[in-house]
This record gives sequence, structure tokens and C-alpha cells, in this order.
Amino acid sequence: MRPGLSPAGLRRPGLARDVAIALTGLALLLALPMAFPAPALRDFLIYFFAYGLLAMSLNLLVGLTGLVSFGHAAYFATGAYVFGLLMQTGRVSIPVGVLAAVGGTALVALVIGAICVRLKEIYFSFITLAFQMFIHSVIVTWVSLTGGDQGLRGGIPRPPVLGLDLNDARTLYGACAVVFVLCILAMRQVSQSPFGYTLRMIRDNPARANFLGVDVTAMKLGIFVFAAAMASVGGLILALFVSGAYPEFAFWTTSGEAIFMIMLGGIKIFLGPLVGTLLLQTLNHFVTIYTEHHGLVLGTVILVIVLGLRRGLADVLFDWLQARRAPRAAGPAPGSLEAEPIGDGALKGRTV
Amino acid sequence: MGTNTVSGRAPSRRQVLGGLAAGAAVTGFPHIAGAQAKAIRVGMPTILSGRVAILGTSSRAAAQLAFRQINEAGGINGRTLELIDRDSKGRPDEAAKVTRDLINNDGCEIIIDGEASSGAFAVHEVIRDLPVLCLHTCSETSSLSADPKLHVKTAFRCARQGIHDAVAGGTYAARIAKQKGLKRWMTCSPDYAYGRDNTAEFLEFAKVFEPSIETVDQVWPKLFAPDYTESITKILQTKPQAVYSALWGGDLVAFIEQSNLYRLFNSITMFSGGLGDPPVLTAIKQLPPGLNTAYRYNRNYPAKPANAAFADAFAKIAGHEPTNWAWQTYLACQFMAEALKRTGGRTEGTALAGALKGMTLPAPFAVGDAITMRDTDHTIIGYPVAWGRTVPKAPFVEDFSDVDWSKIVELEAQWKKSKGYA
Repeated sequence: MRPGLSPAGLRRPGLARDVAIALTGLALLLALPMAFPAPALRDFLIYFFAYGLLAMSLNLLVGLTGLVSFGHAAYFATGAYVFGLLMQTGRVSIPVGVLAAVGGTALVALVIGAICVRLKEIYFSFITLAFQMFIHSVIVTWVSLTGGDQGLRGGIPRPPVLGLDLNDARTLYGACAVVFVLCILAMRQVSQSPFGYTLRMIRDNPARANFLGVDVTAMKLGIFVFAAAMASVGGLILALFVSGAYPEFAFWTTSGEAIFMIMLGGIKIFLGPLVGTLLLQTLNHFVTIYTEHHGLVLGTVILVIVLGLRRGLADVLFDWLQARRAPRAAGPAPGSLEAEPIGDGALKGRTV
Repeated sequence: MGTNTVSGRAPSRRQVLGGLAAGAAVTGFPHIAGAQAKAIRVGMPTILSGRVAILGTSSRAAAQLAFRQINEAGGINGRTLELIDRDSKGRPDEAAKVTRDLINNDGCEIIIDGEASSGAFAVHEVIRDLPVLCLHTCSETSSLSADPKLHVKTAFRCARQGIHDAVAGGTYAARIAKQKGLKRWMTCSPDYAYGRDNTAEFLEFAKVFEPSIETVDQVWPKLFAPDYTESITKILQTKPQAVYSALWGGDLVAFIEQSNLYRLFNSITMFSGGLGDPPVLTAIKQLPPGLNTAYRYNRNYPAKPANAAFADAFAKIAGHEPTNWAWQTYLACQFMAEALKRTGGRTEGTALAGALKGMTLPAPFAVGDAITMRDTDHTIIGYPVAWGRTVPKAPFVEDFSDVDWSKIVELEAQWKKSKGYA
């Protein structure tokens, strides 16, 4: 039986638990600004939501499917620009703008992905980078539409949504938190679905998956488009918050940061990239306050983690928990089945 | 710091809550401290790292100098000014973030925005949300203050702007073209929006004043390109009589140095919008004489004792001559201090904005008696837009020739109409 499926095959058993965790997380996020009303905390968390979605969606490709994309920020930026441009027309509501931005980004990703997913390994990585730089160039050179290197100027209007005034900072934060948690839940659902397990199989042995009748290209394309759509939500959250969109959103360094977040957090735990996002954003926030040599500090931290731990922080925690559980599982009652070995080797490099 | 607390321990609910609480406390407490402090906190988002770090470091040094002088003179109604700077790394979204942080977390009541253009637009939108007084000191993009759709009641620009420079540059270039019979022109500017817009505006006004000017070719090297050989050889092949360049900073230094190897300036008259910045002039090992450049800063122009005193005091802090961004930031601090005096130390954005509108300040850099913060579009006029010629030794630029501001304002008004801004 495939892991994660109920005997009836209709609903996976972990769904209720995931929804409960998501609701708890959302409640915590909504309660935090009440307990600590400093606006800076809200601002910090909105950035965390935006970049967290970028890192989490990239991990659907890197950790789940084994597709190392160097150009994921292109979709982050596409979401931001499509949303910003639509809102600046003054003719669409925020929900319509969001749906159009996510849909538009998915469409762009469908076209680009149809080309990219046919390539493997480093060739896939470089063609995604090439498409990202293409989109960046379009943004920079199409000045009449995008504002070029000055970015989308004039602010992004925030008309009321269902009676909610998003010009109020607390309301905006609450809305962003809800959208963030919904996206994380959607990614979790995809990750734990039969589709998600098929992607793991493709990552581990694409030839075998193909032999078993899986349309590998279609599966890769599916997750490529979904990940791009999720990244676009991160982009539009940031655009809504900073009231603009800028070519830097689509630059390769933004994709690089998302990869750093995944490296820092790890890929074995589903929420690992969020740990990396929190770590990088927190480091960035505090280091920037005290020194302009932040690159040196961040580089040192990354070096220590990469060379010292050789995995993300969440991975360290996960391995430690596994190591603690293993002896208990390895001490079977007389007559019981031998426990399946779960260790570093068994789970190395795999999202669970 | 909060980082380790949050992410490095077992994720039990209690520990996660504790970690987040600690993190929130760290970010929250400075806000309270700021609100209770006696000093007036002024935030400065700017670029302090990367290729254009001198923009931020020289702006910061100018603000430090101004604040020290204001505080030594008794401050504002007994309150001192305190500068809190933050590096945006040249990223607009980061500029927005640190500006919000400076206001919300550090309790800054005024923002001196030392961001380049795209960052300045991001800060501008933050000020729309959080309406404290903001003075942009580095952005030269005209639309920031010229476009009424972008108008923010508490935001002002205390910096030169593209349209003023274009009129002044066009006027000067046309005069030299007439004198020397320069008809065949080429341009060599960086291939991005600023480079193309700046070049187009310069040529537009040069042709208005001297219709015989003909653009025979244009080359567009990449921004931050290390090698300009291709552009230089193209210029040599085309053999124009004059070249205009919107290159700036290290790119311009590289272009001039490499052009020297080809003796480009022996036969071609050069016009540059960015050469007049002292750090650029001093970085060039063999500065050719007779290159035409726009004023960016010069301790001898305007020839006023206060200007020379500013240059000396700045050099003591920064270790080099003032930059264009430095005098603009220093001037912004003077405008801010005067506005604070007029409001009796009140720091509300609307009160300070009311005081700043139309303010005339006798500044060391004024071409005439004073520099004015125009009330209609919140931007300065009356600052130096002169052009001069290079000499190999300090002060590196001489024979400054200014343009009448009434003429600039008249042509600016026409330009605004053509753009739909007026």
C-alpha cells in the first residue's frame, strides 16, 4: 500500500492533522501581533511569508522532485508585476488581481516548463536560469509597461476586500497570514498526495517511474507549474506590502537566496525551508542593523552550516529525533517484526 | 540572538513560543526606547555596500557632519538630532523594509532618504503609508517629484534632477557646438533606462538650442562593463566631432582610462554628465584636460567661504572630497533643521511639510543667494547646474559656466506639459 493513503484511498489520514496544525499555526500568527504590538514584528513576518513561500515552493522542485531550478524568482516577480499592473488599472478587486496573477504566472510557467522539464540535471538548472534572465530583461527593457529598472511606480492600490481595509497594517498582516497558511497547506497536500509520492519516485529513479507507466514529463511539468503559482503568491504578498514591484525580484540573486534558505533549513522536513527563511531573514535583519559587512557575516554562517553540519538545521533536528527513536524501534518485543532501519543513509536527501 | 532561539532547538510548543516572544521583544523594545528618548531620531536608508557604496557612505558622512554642527549649536529647542542609518544593499524591497523598520522599530520621526532611484520610489511609497517627513537626497529621476500622480504630501526631493541637468547640459553643449562648429555627435552611455533617458534628454535640448547638431551614431555598453574597447574603437571609426556620455562612477573611470590609451580625446570633444564628482576625478590616473563636465560638486564653486568650509569639514570625516550626494544630503539636513525650528520642534510630518513648502535657504551651494524648496512639486531649484572643463590637478574642474535658472524653469514647464505632468 502506498504510504499516506487510507485503505479506501479517498482521503489521506494525515490531512486532518495537517489542517489542525495549520489552524494552530494561523492562530499563533494572528495572535502574535496582539501579544507584541510593535509594527516591526508584523513587517518582519510579512517578509517572512513572502520569501517563505518562495523557498517552500522552490523546495517542491528541489527537495521533492530533484529538479534544481536556478530561476524560480522569475515566477515570484511575475506574480508581483501582474498583480501590481492589474491593481494599478483601478478596475479590478484584490481577489481578481490575485487570481489573475497566480493564473497568469501558471500560464507563463506552463510555457517555460514545457521546455525546461525535458532537460535533466545541470541542463535543467541552466535553462531555468536563462528563462529567468530573459524575464528580468523583459522587465528592465519594457519601460513603458514595467517602469524598467525604476520598478513599478505610483504605488499599488488596496481597495477594500469583503469590508476589510487592507490599508490598515493589522488587517493587511492578517490577510497575508491567512494566504500564507493556505498556500503552505496546499503545498503540504500536494506533497503528501499520490502525485507527491510519484514525484519522489521520479526524483529517486526516473527510469523506473517511466517503466511503471508514469508520464515523467507531465508529472514534472505539473509540479513546475504548481510551484511557480505558489511562488507568485509570495511575490504578490511582497508587492502588496511594499506597494511596488522591482526588477530585483526577478534577478538571479533572489533565486540564489531561495536556494540558501533551503540549504540553511534543510529538505528532509516539509517545513525545513521555512526554518531557513526565518534564519536568513533574522540574520539579515539584525546583521544589517550593526554592520554593512553583512555579506561577510552571512557568508560565514552559511560556510559553517555547509561545511560543519553538511545539512540544514531542520535536518540536524530531524536526524537527531530519528536517532533517538531508532533504539526504541530497534528493541522489538519477542516475536515482533524487525523494525525497518531508518537512519541517515535511508533518508539522506529526501523530503518526508 | 533570536535566530538561535527560534530555529536551533527542539520544536516543542513552549520553546517555539518562547523563542518568538524573545525575537519579538528584541524587535519591540527599541521602539519604546525611541519614543521616550529626548533626541529626535532621523532614519537614513541608503546603500552602504556593493559597487555604489560611496553613494551611501558619503551621504552618511554629510548627515553626520550636519547633525554634529546642529547639535553643537544647541540642537532643536534643546533636543539633539540622532542619525540612524541602515543599509538597503541597493534593493528596493529592502529599502522599503528598512525604512518601515526605522520608523516603526527605531522610532525615527524623519527620514533622510539616501537611496538611488528605484529605492527612492520604494521609500516614497512607504512614506505614503507612514507619513513622516521624508527628504530624498540621491534620486535624480525627474518623475519622482514632477509626476503629480506620485505626489506624497510629506515627501520632498533635495537633489538635482534629470530635466534640470538636461536643459543646462543642452544649453552649454549648444554654445560650445556653435563656438567650435561641432556638428557630428556620438553618444556612449550605459544600456539601461537612466542611460538612455539621460542621453535622449541631453540631445533633445542640445538640438533645441543648436539645430545643426546631428547624431551620427550611438553606442550602448552594458552597465558595469569592465572593457570599453569595442565602444572606443567604434567611436574612432565613426570619427564624430563630439561625444556625450552618461556613464558614471567606476564605469566612467574605466572608459576615460581606456580612451586615454587610444588618445581618443586628442581629436574629439568630450561631454560628460557624471565626470564632475570629485571621487571620479581623483580616481582617474591621467585626467585629460579640456573635457566638458556637469557640476557634481566642487569646493571652489560656488566660490563661497561656507562651501570651502563644508568641503574641509566633510573631508575630515570621510577622508575624501564631498560627492554630489554629500552636498545634497547636507543641504537636506539644513532644510530639515530649519523646518524643525519653524515648527518649534514639532516632528509631525504635515507640520514639517507645511514649513518646508516654498522655504528659501541661504545655503553654501546656492548659485544666487538661496536655494528654494519649490512648493508646487516639492523639489529644489537654484542649485548649481553649471558645466566646466577639466584640468589635470586639483580642483580638477574650472571655468564653470552656469545657466540662468529662469530659463531652466521655463523649459521645465514646457517639458512637464509635454509629459502630461502639468
